[in-house]
Amino acid sequence: MSALTESRVISARFGKPQSWTLASYRADGGYETFLSVLKTKKPDEVIAEVKASGLKGRGGAGFSTGMKWSFVPKGTTKPVYLCVNGDESEPGTFKDRQIVEMDPHQLLEGVGITCFAIGAHTAYVYLRCEFAEGLRKVGAAIKEAYAAGLFGKNIGGSGFDLDVHLHMGAGAYICGEETSLLNSIEGVRPYPRNKPPFPAVEGLFGCPTIINNVETIANIPHIMKRGAAWHAGLGHKEDPGSRLWCVSGHVNKPGVYELETGYSLQALIDGLCGGMRRGKKLKCVIPGGSSSRVLTADEVRTVTMDVPCMKRVNSSLGSAGIIVLDESVDMVDAVLNLMKFYAHESCGQCTPCREGSPWLVKILSRIAHGQGRPQDLELILDIADNMEGRTVCALADGACWPLISILTKFRHEFQAKIDAAARSGAAGAPTGVRAPAGAH
Amino acid sequence: MITLSINGRKVEVQPGTTVIEAASAIGIEIPHYCYHKDIGVDGNCRMCLVQVGANTRKLQISCMIPCSEGMDVQTESPAVIKARKGVLEFLLINHPLDCTICDQAGECPLQDYTYRFGPGDSRFTEHKQNKPKTVEFSDQVMFDGERCILCTRCVRFFETVRHEKPLGVENMGGKSLITLGPNGPLTDPYQMNIIDICPVGALTSRDFRFKQRVWFMDFADTVCPGCSRGCNITAGAYQGKLLRFVPRRNPEVNKSWMCDDGRLSYKQYNLDERVRGAHIAGEPAETGAALARVSELVGDGNGVAVLASTKNTCEELYALKAWAGHAGIALLWHGAASWAGDDFLKLPDATPNTAGAQGLGFVPVPGNRPRLRGLIVAGDVAVPPALLADLDFVVLQAPVAGMLGAAASVLLPGRTALEKKGTWINAQGLVQRIRPALDAGPGVPEDWTLWRDLHGGHWPTLQHLQSEMARVAGASGGKVEQAAQPAGSRP
Repeated sequence: MSALTESRVISARFGKPQSWTLASYRADGGYETFLSVLKTKKPDEVIAEVKASGLKGRGGAGFSTGMKWSFVPKGTTKPVYLCVNGDESEPGTFKDRQIVEMDPHQLLEGVGITCFAIGAHTAYVYLRCEFAEGLRKVGAAIKEAYAAGLFGKNIGGSGFDLDVHLHMGAGAYICGEETSLLNSIEGVRPYPRNKPPFPAVEGLFGCPTIINNVETIANIPHIMKRGAAWHAGLGHKEDPGSRLWCVSGHVNKPGVYELETGYSLQALIDGLCGGMRRGKKLKCVIPGGSSSRVLTADEVRTVTMDVPCMKRVNSSLGSAGIIVLDESVDMVDAVLNLMKFYAHESCGQCTPCREGSPWLVKILSRIAHGQGRPQDLELILDIADNMEGRTVCALADGACWPLISILTKFRHEFQAKIDAAARSGAAGAPTGVRAPAGAH
Repeated sequence: MITLSINGRKVEVQPGTTVIEAASAIGIEIPHYCYHKDIGVDGNCRMCLVQVGANTRKLQISCMIPCSEGMDVQTESPAVIKARKGVLEFLLINHPLDCTICDQAGECPLQDYTYRFGPGDSRFTEHKQNKPKTVEFSDQVMFDGERCILCTRCVRFFETVRHEKPLGVENMGGKSLITLGPNGPLTDPYQMNIIDICPVGALTSRDFRFKQRVWFMDFADTVCPGCSRGCNITAGAYQGKLLRFVPRRNPEVNKSWMCDDGRLSYKQYNLDERVRGAHIAGEPAETGAALARVSELVGDGNGVAVLASTKNTCEELYALKAWAGHAGIALLWHGAASWAGDDFLKLPDATPNTAGAQGLGFVPVPGNRPRLRGLIVAGDVAVPPALLADLDFVVLQAPVAGMLGAAASVLLPGRTALEKKGTWINAQGLVQRIRPALDAGPGVPEDWTLWRDLHGGHWPTLQHLQSEMARVAGASGGKVEQAAQPAGSRP
């Protein structure tokens, strides 16, 4: 394994003294790109630049950012909005938090450039309430930017106006779904909306709206400063860029690491993360936040951290939340834990997700508590089949993908518990656990 | 126009038509819960999933997707059948399955669709989710959280039809619950409509619940007699007693709604005491003798007026007018009643056929009027006391005698609005058919036959009378409504 070193682009200023202040940011050349873009570029040129950079969204779906921006209807008479999605709640993901706490001005400069590109004069930065520190830092940074004339009317004499609002969410996972986020800002129950219409056409308050992840927006100043070609040359050519990888679980040094795409996952675990904790063997990795399909230790050895490779192994890079599990992990417990999360966070709008996810929790609880029945595994797979692709948003899919993959790849662990239950006579015990903790 | 195929059948629709509407137009019912023609699309129940093209993984909700040229929609493909079965199974796992004691049973889409599309048994062996039951949403509406399938039709009815938000959803996921807002119990005068649109037994009428199983009841598709809007209704009765009115969809008149006052007005048509047979001076008499007495009293018709209730049908008024003309009575008055209307359906004229009466030449009781010798009161109408001063005689034809009946020279039986056949013309000029929900019983002939018999009887049946009316131009004047849907169809 070659030793990896971090490529610090987004995280370049993390850890500097007072890195979150305007003074520190400007000392490092901050906002110069924004002001020069306002003076020298046309909005379409910015969109073209971002398109050419190959930047893909960092929120999970990995959609081309420049492409998304170009969906705003040309010549619309309605106001256009930018919403920055900082409802980071995908289990295993904690990168946006670092950005908002350690370099909020980097995000805000990206907000300014993005708004200019898409023709928005109002932006909402949506942060979940648990980011208390981030909320304080971003709130203070917005005030500083206004005071310095970087937001507000006629920025830098360019004639461009921009208002930036900080919106605090209440901590629901579903609000990270972009249309739920819009409903949350509008003050209505944050159920995901049916699409189409897509937000770029009819979003916040019925107006064209672009929703981008915090890390995506933080990339924009760098792309505009150093050029699309620079960005397109970073990492894997089909999925270029430098990403913040959130490594959690049974490694010696969990944390956020910035690396270009395309590196070996095994090398990240063994290198920057200091290898497996207590010398245990790797069992599996959930590579892209909890909603992605699990990779076995054998698969981990073969994969690189980029969208095309993850697609090849039928998983996804998602939000780059890499959850590393060692051999001590009971996969039934692990998947039960995940399903409790999804059952708890299901908004309850669509029948399959609202009813299916708590049902899965109840069955998995029974298996975990030694009351599994032989038919349970097929039942779980069929319930998942009835949920996946049957709902308004992807939460049900996100619950099913890890479930199906874990059950398929570690079926023997489930079977062992069911067989033990059969031997003990507890199988088929009428209803199992009365109220599974956390199942709600 | 757009051409698409649904289950291999070609259908042409206007741009903007959704797949569920296109299917409905060619008689293909796509099962659904949250979608409702008059409150729109929400997309939460996932029951109306269909397959578009060959994509079996990402099925689409037919209530939401617009038809597009060349679209190939399957509503009965293996993927759709499985998905639908799956949705029904999900809806049923935490549902109490208490059909045996549920008022909705027999007219419940959850029950009906389960029979048609659902799994025959359940794979669910866990404990069900418990939720609040017998929650009083108001004096009229009872809520059962466990039966609720969270289609949010009730919430959206208030939002989209009444522009208010007394209901909402609290909590999330499997614990989601329809709940009253901070302003407490429902107060809206149209609140009971949520009972009808609730596709399960979660919202029940506190007036009707536990009264009768619907499959034992008799139903008549008729029109609410409460006001001149003429909301289309289905009247439900059991053993000669009305138990409820529910609205019947007519997009031109009342959509799927009716006011709570109209809905609960059924009670006044369950008569404890009524006029049976004719009476002369308070004594029972042969109908023939009573009619002869009427002719005798009327004489040449001079100084006699007819005051007709505007709850009479056009046919009754036509027969009445024909006799009055024959008898030389020139004064044809109607007595429309009034109540407070509102900004939605309720009109101030609290009788259903004022337009019909006016079309036939009946006018409101004039302020200055000639001195009267006698008054013929036809139907259930409030007679202004001043009209009764110094009369030689009063003839009353009505279901209930009351004070006036006791004083009437001749008392003739009459049917209530729920016992009649015929037509009413509503305030917008629409001719609407009414049908009897109750049998009037012995001694209460059809009202129009009395007026026919008084002047010699031209029409052997009501159809003969109606054909004559149709021949006489301007007799009714309105256009006959076509749009109403029969009871049991699912908006």
